[in-house]
Amino acid sequence: MTRDRDTASAWTGALLALPFLLFLCGVVAWPLAHLAGRAVTQGEALREVLAAGRYRTALVNSLALSSAAAAASVLLSVGPAWILARERFRGRDLLRTAISLPLTFSGVLVGFLMVVLLGRIGAIPKVIGALTGREMFSGAAYTVGGLFLAYLYFEVPRAVMTLEAAFRRFPRELDSAARTLGAGALQRLVRIGLPIAAPALRSTLAVTFSASMGSFGVALILSRRFTVAPLEIYTEMTGFLNDDVAGALCLALALITLAVDRLLSLGSRR
Amino acid sequence: MLRKISITLSLSVLAAALALAQGKVVIQYDCIPNYANWGGVTALYKKVSGVTVPPDSKGSSVAMAALEKERNDPQADTVYYSGAIGFQAAAQGLHEPYKPKGWEKIPAGLKDPNGLWWTVHTSAIAFIVNTRALDGAPVPRSWQDLLKPVYKGKIAYDDPTWGGTSYTLVYGLNTLLGGNEKNFKPGLDYLKKLDANVSSYPRESIYNAVLRGEVPIWINADGNGYKMKHVDGGPVEVVIPAEGTFTMPLVMALVKGAPHGEEAKKYLDWLLTSPAQAEFARSYFRPVLPGALPPDIARHFLPEKDYRRARSLDLARMAAAADALKKAWTEQIRGSGR
Repeated sequence: MTRDRDTASAWTGALLALPFLLFLCGVVAWPLAHLAGRAVTQGEALREVLAAGRYRTALVNSLALSSAAAAASVLLSVGPAWILARERFRGRDLLRTAISLPLTFSGVLVGFLMVVLLGRIGAIPKVIGALTGREMFSGAAYTVGGLFLAYLYFEVPRAVMTLEAAFRRFPRELDSAARTLGAGALQRLVRIGLPIAAPALRSTLAVTFSASMGSFGVALILSRRFTVAPLEIYTEMTGFLNDDVAGALCLALALITLAVDRLLSLGSRR
Repeated sequence: MLRKISITLSLSVLAAALALAQGKVVIQYDCIPNYANWGGVTALYKKVSGVTVPPDSKGSSVAMAALEKERNDPQADTVYYSGAIGFQAAAQGLHEPYKPKGWEKIPAGLKDPNGLWWTVHTSAIAFIVNTRALDGAPVPRSWQDLLKPVYKGKIAYDDPTWGGTSYTLVYGLNTLLGGNEKNFKPGLDYLKKLDANVSSYPRESIYNAVLRGEVPIWINADGNGYKMKHVDGGPVEVVIPAEGTFTMPLVMALVKGAPHGEEAKKYLDWLLTSPAQAEFARSYFRPVLPGALPPDIARHFLPEKDYRRARSLDLARMAAAADALKKAWTEQIRGSGR
């Protein structure tokens, strides 16, 4: 009897998961298998992508920029996420909404925002110019620093949202106990919060890293010379009709991202 | 990138779906509303025929790439390019021969004898200068002027792998400086020096950025500059450089296997009528039909003596050099990518 019920519920589960499995096959497994197949049959393109030059530079740049953006956004988010999750204060919901707002903007929009703020006639250089008599950071939007700031713009909210959810599941009684024993907010965060939150920190790193690796619109608007992999894929496909190199770049980008995510999740199991 | 493509795809599908819901539709690749007044032209066509031609933000090269990808399952009916890219796409067998009404009035040399492409209007490469954004620097008058340190960070021209206008610029400049379709060195040497003054190599329309003063000098089609000045009232001056410049035919073609072929032909016929040609002229692109330029538009152009410095380019040679020159530009001008 029980066994029958178990089998039945297993079948129901499988049936419920079916749309998602089909979706995964259609948009993840099939294209990746296609790319991998091409890379094997036409290894030339993959070798070209991995050899020293523009394509490898793009992959290395993507890796470096995304790692930096992920690390910085997690660092910047720990405090705000902790406060949002643990403290009660007026306007908390409003603050949370405001923080999540940048997530709704597309990369191209964020790129334009950076131009408005830090372009040649950007608002920030103008304000600094009015205050100090010397315009600073004019055109900074088009530098690597500008690109990094733009990435933070949409990665910090992502990190805050992910971390806040994790911090909220944090066992309250431990916190109360520590508070009773006289630990301050900072001490509680460092001694109790962070160790418990380590898996959440790692998964937040993975989420922000992956999102940065795939980001395209920001670099499309801001990049002058510094290039990232998605931008090279676009140029190869649209400017040169070079499907093989574009495909090999896609594959390399996907594999690097998967490998880093895997590393981070291995760490959390230990 | 996938995100961008899927956004573009879903937007165009949405636009097409909306259009379908409202009636007949012709899909045109490269139909940028504020380029050559396609916005006005397609709105007028909707008014006279009821047919919707949705906007499409692909540049020439991207449009050709899309047609190539969809060769076995064409989605577009008509396509618009800068001349050399259209020539190249025709050579790749992406077009259906068609000679629209008014064909005989198009000057020879501005159309393919078999009807694989034909010019709808022409433009010339010029400096579009936002005079209020120059911070006291004089308006540049020549290609040599552009190299002066006073223009540091003030110049932009589109990435030639993105748009045909900029490919015309890069190819033309190379021929002007003594290069040819085999030898790109003179042009690329100049562009390397110019790089010190260039703020960006955009892959999207920076029309508004120029108007706002974010980009003071844009090397682009003259018509875009006249439009900024006379339609949008910007502090803009158009300069035909002293050493010379190049004319650029902008061409249409019927896509091979166009899903709405019959509607597309009617639309292509209409683009060569006087009302359509005059509507293009409102964006200061010169109508290809003689006498179609309205006098109130004509008087805003620089005098004829300036345009005597504009030479036409051989589209066949220009198309043949396209891939190699774009690659050389990407490697040597956009640089290592670091």
